[in-house]
Amino acid sequence: MRGTRPRRRFVRSLLLSVQLLAAHPLRTALSVSGLLVGVAALIVMVAVSEGAERRVLERMRSMGTNLLIVSAAPAPRVLGRPRQVPIHTVLRAADAGGIATESTLAVAVAPAVARPMVVRAGGLNTATLLTGTTTTGLRLRNLQAGSGRLFDDDDDREQRRVVLLGPTVARNLFQAVDPVGRVVRLGSIPFEVIGVTRPLGTDPGGVDHDDQVVVPLTTALRRVLNIPYVHTLLIQSRSSDDLERLEDEVRNILRARLAVRSGMAEPFLVQNQAVLLRTERGASRAMRRLTMGAAALAALVGGIGIVAVMLISVRERTREIGLRRALGARRRDIRRQFVMESAILGAVGGTAGVCIGVAAAGAAAILGPWDLVVSWRPALLGPIGSALLGLVVGVIPAARAARLEPIVALRTE
Amino acid sequence: MMIEVEGLTKSYRKGSAVTEVLKGVSFQAARGEFVAVMGRSGSGKSTLLNILGLLDRPDGGRYRLDGADFSTADDDALSAARNRKIGFVFQQFHLLERASALRNVMLPLLYCDDESDAGATRAEQALASVGLSHRAHHLPGELSGGEQQRVAIARALINSPALILADEPTGNLDAQAGKEILDIFRRLIAEGRTIVLITHDTGVASCADRTLVLDAGCIVPSSPAGAGVSRAPGSGGRA
Repeated sequence: MRGTRPRRRFVRSLLLSVQLLAAHPLRTALSVSGLLVGVAALIVMVAVSEGAERRVLERMRSMGTNLLIVSAAPAPRVLGRPRQVPIHTVLRAADAGGIATESTLAVAVAPAVARPMVVRAGGLNTATLLTGTTTTGLRLRNLQAGSGRLFDDDDDREQRRVVLLGPTVARNLFQAVDPVGRVVRLGSIPFEVIGVTRPLGTDPGGVDHDDQVVVPLTTALRRVLNIPYVHTLLIQSRSSDDLERLEDEVRNILRARLAVRSGMAEPFLVQNQAVLLRTERGASRAMRRLTMGAAALAALVGGIGIVAVMLISVRERTREIGLRRALGARRRDIRRQFVMESAILGAVGGTAGVCIGVAAAGAAAILGPWDLVVSWRPALLGPIGSALLGLVVGVIPAARAARLEPIVALRTE
Repeated sequence: MMIEVEGLTKSYRKGSAVTEVLKGVSFQAARGEFVAVMGRSGSGKSTLLNILGLLDRPDGGRYRLDGADFSTADDDALSAARNRKIGFVFQQFHLLERASALRNVMLPLLYCDDESDAGATRAEQALASVGLSHRAHHLPGELSGGEQQRVAIARALINSPALILADEPTGNLDAQAGKEILDIFRRLIAEGRTIVLITHDTGVASCADRTLVLDAGCIVPSSPAGAGVSRAPGSGGRA
């Protein structure tokens, strides 16, 4: 019995608060509007930042965080004079083999070339990117066969004219028809389509990784591009922790192989995948911190709104407070009633804000090009946090209400 | 004795000016007694009633309610005593506009611990005792002044207090409605409750067993209307 009394009081007081708030719908709506807008905006912002975060994470998954990309870079100056002709030509396929044997940290190395190319099939053509790489390169690039097969080492060794189409290219040239077994022309050279790769998606930079065709490296070098050098080397380390040491190691090996003397600019660029993604992730973290700041601001504005309306409510209901005191309400009963009302206002505002925010984020995700992720955490924290906010800020008007002397309150007109 | 008051003093400070409102008021009221308090505005009637109702504390003197001294009681104890022992009836009714008559009557139950689930039943009984069963679900705005005051009386009765304090309960009512209120008061007296009532109306005061006249913070021995001697016919509730 003893235990049920406070609970019953609590429930009655809760019901009373709800009734009182429901009796003043306009005032209730006004007092929660600030919080509502804040929470809704917050939900949308969190959805945006989580969307960005997810894209980065997906890219990390698809590209791996343990890759180094070495690209042949034009040396900006030679002997103090700017050079007109970019030297892309320093890296050879053999350097890949060299790194693979000399490096202690690299577990796989793949050379690759890339060149814009027009691909034709039937009466259609599409401008896309030609990539030539080895079977190892297919693995490091996370390229898998969606239909048909991937090329193998024999295809590469024999310089066979076989090609893998990215899903975008397949769609552009063949629409719904399965292109496996068909012939496409890279430039003027006919190639047999042996497979279509699985979709990789578009990265945040807007690059469609499915808009490419992939051929064996030697085929690309000898039959299509007719060049002796490669553009990039993909190097995989055992784990992303080793990546920075691997980078040093690869630099040293390449400097030795390319006879780069100390003090000379390196004719290649080493891109550390982990560092790139870390930077990008840092940006999305910064965005998240910004969101947190906005949350604090929304809470502040919402809280002020609730306090203002509650203070008005206390003033308006001074006589009612006096009456309740005369009828036996203790100061703490009055205080509890106003704190509870304030908490309910917070919860109502927070819940409405979450509903509107989720609806807005959902609509934006459907109608617009944005990638939004509505997660359960802010959707749950919105109402709870807002209720707590209401509880905390409600203390001020509640204390004022509880301080009123009953005779003074009753006398108020 | 229900009420024992001895040498009650109370003064209010406004800036540097101190106003003595009560200057040693003494009287007693027995259980089942109907006491009217009269006096000009500012004579201290309301202050006396506030002290009797434990809404205000006297500066000096002694006040015992039903044998208990509350001079050192804390706010919680005073609140509990107001809830259990005292029923208030105000001139302006003081009903919650947005709550039904029944909800208004149940309001004091919100602040007492041992309320059972029979609260609604008790409230209905209280409304029935003032003849308003059929108005239980009406809002105050839908009721006449007399009906509103009867709701307020039902609210004062819900916890069966021994003492009813009424501040000009008929002041805002027409003659007929006022008479109905007084009839209810007479019945309450017959039930053994004590009523202290403030009024300006000698007709109302004549219903009481006794009239105290306050003047400038003191009780004056006799009243101009001679109330307390000539009682209205049919008021002999207290046999």
